[in-house]
Amino acid sequence: MVLLENDSFLTELTRLFQKCRTTGSVYITLKKYDGRTKPVPRKGNPETFEPVDNKCLIRATDGKKKISTVVSPPLLDLAYSNLLRAHIDGLKKKDKKSKSKKTKATQ
Amino acid sequence: MPHYQSWEEFSRAAEKLYLTDPMKVRVVLKYRHCDGNLCVKVTDDAVCLQYKTDQAQDVKKIEKLQGKLMRFMVSKESHSMTMETD
Repeated sequence: MVLLENDSFLTELTRLFQKCRTTGSVYITLKKYDGRTKPVPRKGNPETFEPVDNKCLIRATDGKKKISTVVSPPLLDLAYSNLLRAHIDGLKKKDKKSKSKKTKATQ
Repeated sequence: MPHYQSWEEFSRAAEKLYLTDPMKVRVVLKYRHCDGNLCVKVTDDAVCLQYKTDQAQDVKKIEKLQGKLMRFMVSKESHSMTMETD
């Protein structure tokens, strides 16, 4: 799993989308992150860890390559949503023309 | 493991689930350009909410919801709570 800076993550995510245009899926996962770098201790030693409240983790994969990044304010959500909107464009558009044709036909 | 047909219901249930336990909930997005569909899943490993679409108009709604949840995650918890109740 490659942990990247926010900018490199966005670049790599773009590359993932481009790679999967002809075949395959892009998986993106979003989760709140409290800044842990060590696993939760089973018992015994009390947790000396202070959870942070303002981070989240974004992971992306195409099934083979994995990338991730940690997001904290100021947010990259604008760049991220623009990226999603730019690449997720293969879906069906709302067909207004055929609808109006149908209404005309019934009239 | 409900599959939602209505975006309204899905986004309301998703926000509600997130607010019950923000640390546990994750949002998964799966996009297949070759098949032309997008699938969103919000889960806390006990409850799993899913929404599938092949409509371009849903992309904007989905990415808005992602942005909203991301903002909740990155803000201080008390703020996100008051946002909802106010």
